[in-house]
Parts: sequence; C-alpha cells; structure tokens
Amino acid sequence: MRSGTAGAPVTSTASLRLDHVTKRFGTVLAVDDVSFEVPRGAFATLLGPSGCGKTTTLRTIAGFYDPDAGDIRIGERRVNDLPAHRRGTAMVFQDYALFPHMTVRDNVGYGLGVQGVPSAERRTRVDEVLAFVGLGGLGDRWPGQLSGGQQQRVAVARALVVRPEILLLDEPLSNLDAKLREQLRWELRELQQRLGMTFVYVTHDQDEALSLSDVVVVMKEGRVEQIGKPWEIYYRPRTTYVADFIGTVNLVAGTVEEGRAGTVGVRFDGHRVDLAAPDGPTLAPGAAVRLCIRPEALALRRPEAGGDAVAVSGTVARCAFLGDLMRYWVVVDGREWVVDQMDPGAASPFEGRVAIAMRPDRIHLIAEASS
Amino acid sequence: MAGGGGSVSLRREPSLLIALLAVAGLVLAFIVYPQIQVVLVPGGDGYLSFFEHGNWQRPLQNSILVTALSTTTAVTLGFVYAYAMVYSDMAWKPFFRLVGILPLLSPPFVVAAAYILLFGPRGIISYGVFGQTLNVLGLYGVWGVQTIAFFPFAYQLIADVLSRSDARMEQAARNLGASTWDVFRTVTLPLTRPGLGAAILTTAIYVLEDFGNPALIGGLFTVLPTQAYGLISGFADFTGAAAVSTILLVLALALYLAKVRLDGGRSYVTVSGRASSMPRPPVPPAVSVACFVACLALAGIILLVYGSLVVSALTRAFPTNLAFTTTHFEYLSAHSLALQNTLVYGLAAASVSAVLAVLAGFLVQRGTWSGRRALDFLLIMPAAIPGLFFGLGYVVAFNQPWLEWLDRGALIVIALVFWNIPIGYQAAVAGLRQIDRSIDEAATSLGASSLRGFRDVVLPMLRGSLQVGFTTTFVRAVTTLSLVIFLFTPQTTVATVTIFQLVNDINWGGATAFTVADVGMAIVVLVVLAAIGGRRFVALGAARA
Repeated sequence: MRSGTAGAPVTSTASLRLDHVTKRFGTVLAVDDVSFEVPRGAFATLLGPSGCGKTTTLRTIAGFYDPDAGDIRIGERRVNDLPAHRRGTAMVFQDYALFPHMTVRDNVGYGLGVQGVPSAERRTRVDEVLAFVGLGGLGDRWPGQLSGGQQQRVAVARALVVRPEILLLDEPLSNLDAKLREQLRWELRELQQRLGMTFVYVTHDQDEALSLSDVVVVMKEGRVEQIGKPWEIYYRPRTTYVADFIGTVNLVAGTVEEGRAGTVGVRFDGHRVDLAAPDGPTLAPGAAVRLCIRPEALALRRPEAGGDAVAVSGTVARCAFLGDLMRYWVVVDGREWVVDQMDPGAASPFEGRVAIAMRPDRIHLIAEASS
Repeated sequence: MAGGGGSVSLRREPSLLIALLAVAGLVLAFIVYPQIQVVLVPGGDGYLSFFEHGNWQRPLQNSILVTALSTTTAVTLGFVYAYAMVYSDMAWKPFFRLVGILPLLSPPFVVAAAYILLFGPRGIISYGVFGQTLNVLGLYGVWGVQTIAFFPFAYQLIADVLSRSDARMEQAARNLGASTWDVFRTVTLPLTRPGLGAAILTTAIYVLEDFGNPALIGGLFTVLPTQAYGLISGFADFTGAAAVSTILLVLALALYLAKVRLDGGRSYVTVSGRASSMPRPPVPPAVSVACFVACLALAGIILLVYGSLVVSALTRAFPTNLAFTTTHFEYLSAHSLALQNTLVYGLAAASVSAVLAVLAGFLVQRGTWSGRRALDFLLIMPAAIPGLFFGLGYVVAFNQPWLEWLDRGALIVIALVFWNIPIGYQAAVAGLRQIDRSIDEAATSLGASSLRGFRDVVLPMLRGSLQVGFTTTFVRAVTTLSLVIFLFTPQTTVATVTIFQLVNDINWGGATAFTVADVGMAIVVLVVLAAIGGRRFVALGAARA
C-alpha cells in the first residue's frame, strides 16, 4: 500500500470503551458482562474460538445488535441509542460484502455519496484511497472480476474512505490463502499505524492477534478471559485456558511450598524452584498451581550434561522437523512435554534419554483455582 | 457468531418504523378490511335466511362437480404436455413451449368464445361441417372449455415441478437398471408428489374461481361465481351475493391451505424461454413419438382457439361470411378508452405492486419485530381469494358516499395492486434469502439508514423479484374479468369487460377483434419489457381470470 495524502494521520479517530456489556439471544448469553478499553489510535483484537462472542461483541459495537445491558462509548459519546449508520464506525466484513451491482469505484464512493460529498471531491478521495491500498487503475472493474485479495482491499478502502472514528474488522483475512493472508496482515498493520486510526479486529487466529495488535482481548464463552499486550498474553496468561489457546504450552502441575513477597517456592515432579509470584492474591503453601512453560523456552541436553539451574530427565518419544525448529515430545514420569529446539541445523536429532533444561525466569505460574 | 438478532432496529430508526406502519396499514385497509366487510354484509340473520331460502345448494354442487371434472381433465392433459416437454426427445419443443405460454397472456374466457364460434348454434364445425345446431350450453360445455382453458396453466405448474426434480437421481436409477417407466414410477413420481399435489390444487382454485367461461356458456348451469354475479346484476341482492361469495371463499381457502401444506406456499413459477440444461435419461423413441403426437394435438387445439378468434376478427360475419374486413377493428377506436384504461391500470398496478411487494418483503424478511409472521400471512392471503370476492369486497368497503372523491380507476388499480401482491412478495422474500445480511449491513455501516440501504443496494439486487412481480401483476391485470366485473364504471371500463359485453351482445366480430388487440397489447408490452430488462425471460405467475 502506497503513501498519499490519504495516509496522513486521522484526527477524527476515537477511543472505545465497553462497560459491562451483555447481549442475550433467547436463553443464550452470547456476550456476558464484557468490559474493555481501546485507546485512541490503537489496534485491538478480539481473540477466541468460534462461539466465544467476539463477533457478537463487534456487531454490538457497530450497532447491528442492541446490548441488553451495559454502555458502549466511542470517544466521549455513549452510542447505545444511536442506529448503526450514525455511530461513526465502518466495518469490513468477513465475506467483504461488496455491492455486486456497483463498480469498484462506486463501491468505494458509496459512503461518501451517502454523506453528500460533492462528486468531484468524491472522485478524488476514491482514487486516492484506491491508490493507497494498491488498487489504482482498477476503479472501473466489477467486484466479480477481482481476486479475493483485491476484493478484501476494496472492502478496506470502502470503509476507510468515510474516515470512520473506529474501523471494525470481522475476520477480514479468513477467506484468503495462507501466503496472501500473511502479506495482507502486514499491510493492514502498516496502514493502521500510518493512519493512526483505532482498529478493532476480530479473529480466531492467534498469530494474527499477536502480530497485529497493541491490545489483545481473549474471550471465552462470552466473557473476557484476559486483556493485555500480545507478549503479556503469551508469556503471562492468567488462566490455563488462555495459555492453552495461544500457542503451544507445557502446563505442569505443582504445589506451593513457600510463599514470600515477590517469589514463590514451588515443587513439581520432585524438583523445587523459586519463581516470580503471579499477579493477584498471595499463594499460600499447599496451593495447587500450574507451571506454564513455552516449548521454545526449554532446551534439550545429553542426560549426563550438568550445570543447569533446573533440569528434568525424560525419554524422547518422537520428533518432528518443522524447518525453523525441531519439535520434540519428551516423556517425563509418564507425561509428555513439548520442547522446541530452535535453529536445529542438520545435526542428527536427540534420541533416547535426555535432560530438559529450563530457566526459572521463563516459567510463569498460574494459580489453579483461577482457571 | 450467534444467530438471531437483526440488522433492523425499529426503536432506533423511526423512519423504518413509519415504513412498517405504512405497509401494515395498507395491508389492513386494502386486504383485510374489504374481505371482512363482504363476510359481514349478510349478518347473522341474513346468513340464516339465505341458507334456508336462498338458491345456493345447486350452484355449490355445480361448482364442486365442475371443479372436480375440469381439474381432472386439465391436469391430465397438462401432465402429458409437461412430461413431453421435460422428458421426451420430441421435435418442435420451442414451438410447443411458445404455444403453451400463449394462453397465460389472454383471458381464459376467450376459450368459451372460441368454443361458441366453433361448436355453437351456428358454429363453423357443428353447423358448417355437420349441419347440426347443438345446444352447447351447460355442464359439458363448461367442462370442456375449462379443460382447454386451464390445461396450459396445469402444464406450466407441472413442468415447473418436474423440471425441479433431480435429474441425477433419475440417471442413477437408470444406471442401476430401471426402465424409463420404472424410473418414472419409483423415482420421479414419489419425489415430485408434493409438488404435483400442489399443482393440482392450484389448478382447482383457478377452475373454481373461473367466472368468464361459465358466464358465457353455463346457461342454466350456474356455479358460485356466476350465481353471485347474477344476484347482483339481476336483483341487486348484495346480501345473497355476499353469502354466495363467502361460500366460494371458504372453498378456495380450503384448497389453498391444502396446497400450502404440500408446497409451503410457493405461488409462482418462472416461465423461462429456455429448456432445462440438466440432461435427463433418454426415453424410448416410441415414447417421444407419442409425446409429439399428443402435444401436436393439444397445441392444435390452442391454435384453433386463437386462430378462430383471429379469423373471426378479420372476417365480416364469422362463420357464415368469411370475406376479409377490418371493420371490426373500428370497435377499438369506439372503445379505445377500455384499451387505454387496461394499459394504464395494468402498468400502474404492476409498478406499485412490484415495489410495494419488495419493500414489504424487506421489512418482513429482514425484520426482527414481533408480528411479522402475521403480516407475512396477510401478504400471501390474496393468492387464495377469488377475484370476484376480492372485487366485491372493494365495492362493499369503498363504494361509500364519503369516498365519492376517490377516482374509480384508482380503486381498480388499488385492487389490482393488492390482489396480486403475493407473487411479488414471495419472489422478494426468496430473493432476499439469497442476499447475505452483511450486504445491508455494509451499507448501514457506511452511513446509510436502513431504508437508504434498501433503496441503493437491496432493491437493485432484487431486480429479478421486481420483474416477477411486475410482469405477473401486469398480465393478470390485463386478463382478469372477475376482479373488475363489479368495480368498473363507464369511465373506468377495461378490455376484458368490453369483450364480455360484446360477447353478450352477440357482437362476435367486435369481441374477437378486441380480444386480439388485448392479447396483442400484452405481448407487445412484455416484449418491450424483456428488451429493456436485457434478459431473455418473461417471468410470470400463472395468471388467473
């Protein structure tokens, strides 16, 4: 996507705040007491599996659903009572929803026509935004003549050109093939940063969420499970659900032996480690916890090697070569651990007995009760 | 992710609420209110004394009898024609298809007129060939004429059902070793039985409601529609007419409800100019030959009907004096008002009905408000209401002193709009189901109100539904007699009424010239519309008299 005057930072963009928003369909609680805040100009992602309420939340923000309770604020305005077309939000749909009976130019210019923008100005702005998303020269095509990626860009252009206060995107990349998806992902992020516009993005794809967002809102069964920056969500999940949903993780059961300010002594599999205490109430001795360890934070050693702060021994069950890493499944006391060896090289893989070494500062604790 | 909810929120969009209230108000005023008025006219005592003393048993029996007979024969012939068109490899299919469409564009009672010309007391066949003066009036005449008049309708309905049956299953059955007959008996028939049942019941409704044919050749054989007409035109007995019409309505509603149970209320078929592209298993050559002979005979009868009308229109005194003349067409200028009214009313009603139907379809299909099921039912109901009853309702409800200012022509247009609204409405609902809601929502999220989005985005995408509503309403408007027979005034007369009056005056030349002009006008309008629309099809609901 090229720069242009359309790439100038947007001054009308706004923050978004949801306070205790609830939406029911019959007896189904689709959105359950959801609160979160998106600062002005931030890229926020609603992340979760299908049925978690993320799309319903987005559609409630857009005004397509009435919330049963709670407030939605865009900037300083409470927008609950505003119809969808007065909210200052524009939406990019999963299936793009391009108007099939209008050319690309008419599709993109539609919102400006509704606003009553004079046709000369409309034309300039449409051409500008089309060039901006890399579709200059395709204005006279029909939607049916475009590839999936091009249609997606038209959908984005059509929403951007009306200069919404917030752009809402509902799984906009999910209908594209993997390579194109990744390319458009970077383009979207670059676009958002250049415009400084507030984006709210819905996806079930954790890679998208982590790579695009300033703020990630993880949802489960209509509720917010955790809100945080991508690395907070990844390294310091508050619940085993979040830990499990984002990436691959080893969740090892342990028991608190000793709780002090800032650190906790934890026993697991016959080992004892001192770890940083998680947020929340102090863990009392005897409390059940989970050690949350990412596979790439572990290292394999020959069994006889020593010198690591913490190491458990096990047997390699199988391994898989994934190019950038070698993934091992190692059985420790009848339980499988996943260990990733980054940049494995062409050396022959580990076999038989191995030691799994880990650094205490890479182990995150999750209190069992909170999951 | 979750379903339910809706894109349309009445509370936040007053304009949408106003549109909905307007549509609901129109439906109540022009569909519900007049019909209730007819049913209420006789009052409790009126019904009691009418059922005790009135002449209704004989017409009721006659109606049931002739409906049963004519439906059986019409459906049988229609089935043969449809089977031949869908399954056989016979020659001349495009010709047969064209001939099959012709009767849909003309008032069904032209068959009665042709029948009198051919077989009447001075008929060219009965008297001219055999020298006989037959009494053709009565049950057998009505039966025969309705069979010929309605088998093309049955053909369209049945062909639609058969062509929607899955050819792949028939191919599979043939592949497993079944013969043509086995396939038909064990696969096609069981799969199409509900659709065929609905087609039979729909044909029965047409026959039951038919007014023109029994009026022209029924003679002393009165059926419910002619009895109702006779009571008003002869005795100004509105009470009796309303009671008879109510009996007719009850019968039609019973047939209609049975049909809805079978097919879910589909009320139109798409008559396309092309054959189905789906290949079907071949039938034996002998079957194709038999089909060809049967279709040739049936098409011959249709052409005989229209041919005799054209010849009559162009000859001095058919059938005794066959000298060529154009004098009968002078009636066109004498009665040009009727033709002009037909065209104006037809186009006006078709435009309003098509747009209103699509708007109503949008409000009902996209809405989430309670009560939309009731509105849905009311919008489909006119499909079950006999034209005679519908027209009578407008007379009773709106021929009131306080409505003197209302133009009678406007009243006819309004009646046509609402009598025909079910077809466009159902086409719109079917069309809207094909358009994802995200299309409406995209317009809304770009700043358009729901109604603005409807106008800019949904309406253009429903062009096909609009065309179905428009053409069907137009065709039915120019071919209906029963709806307008109570509503017309000298200033607002229409072509079908004029034809009916000319036949009653035994002015055959004038009547046939007028018929040719009326049908010709309908064809010209449809051809022009097809050319403007840029599509090769003419979408029609099966028209009714």
